[in-house]
Amino acid sequence: MEVFSDFQCPACKTLFTTTNRRLMDDYVSSGKVYLVHRDFPLPMHAYSRVAARYARAAAQIGKGEAVEQALFQNQEKWEQNGDVDGTVAAVLSAAEMAKVRALVKGGTLDAAIDKDYALGQTYRVNQTPTTVFHSKGQTYPFSGVMTYEILKQFLDQLLSQK
Amino acid sequence: MMQSSPLNARRIFIWIGRLVLAGIFIYAGYAKLFLPNFIPWPLFALRFSLSTNLSNFAVQVESYKLLSPGGVSFVARTLPFAEIILGLLLLIGWQLRIWASLITLIMLGFLSVVSRAYLLHMNINCGCFATPEPLTGMTVVRDGALLALALFMTIFAFIEARKPHPWSAPEKA
Repeated sequence: MEVFSDFQCPACKTLFTTTNRRLMDDYVSSGKVYLVHRDFPLPMHAYSRVAARYARAAAQIGKGEAVEQALFQNQEKWEQNGDVDGTVAAVLSAAEMAKVRALVKGGTLDAAIDKDYALGQTYRVNQTPTTVFHSKGQTYPFSGVMTYEILKQFLDQLLSQK
Repeated sequence: MMQSSPLNARRIFIWIGRLVLAGIFIYAGYAKLFLPNFIPWPLFALRFSLSTNLSNFAVQVESYKLLSPGGVSFVARTLPFAEIILGLLLLIGWQLRIWASLITLIMLGFLSVVSRAYLLHMNINCGCFATPEPLTGMTVVRDGALLALALFMTIFAFIEARKPHPWSAPEKA
């Protein structure tokens, strides 16, 4: 599953907090499903690219999940004042934060974000979140939020296919 | 005997109202059910795509912060079907006064909720056609215009119904 997401989009927050966290516990942890986060920062959001940089930097030091959770849970706060750095710093140690800041300032993360964005365009992603399911050679792109119960039924059907 | 022409201004207005409102209602219901996801086969993917679209619509209904979770679910699961059925009934013209009145009431409801959201500066999507569309002053103006169309169509439908049908046989002296 590839999830094209924007950290400043309210629907992406809903998908993450209500569905994808349970998905990670029930399907990703057990290896039944691979979940890939793809950055798709929409131009209309002032801080989503900044947030994507921090999340990518955190992922490089093994703290991607914690930072993703912090960014989504505090979305309403940092989108008002742009304090992405402070939001991330609240969940990392000083040493980890120093590494993240160095990576963000290094300026190498934008290329990876742009690569995700370009990949999204090949799937004709035009809104976030968009989830692209890959199973046995078939591709199923879905836009928007789905409840965990509905997603579970779909995944069970896909996994039961031979 | 009152005379009635098949093509007076009121009847033309009723026809325009029926075509415009029926088209908008049918498209709005269709969009909520089938856009942006529609995978017709296999059947489980079709069911998933419809469920996902209704879930997305439920998120948009919830964003108005007006209904309980049960109310949100009820509206999200019934409104798209109701819009399609009402649009078709309006197009057919059977029992026009009833369906025109109902559509006017629904438009009044839509206008009330979008006006409230606009006046409260709620930064949300309209949800009118299921695709992301920020709720702005234009949304309020558009819904107001559609309400006016529905209202006049209904009033004219009641007025015209009092007259003999233009194609009915003339009354005997």
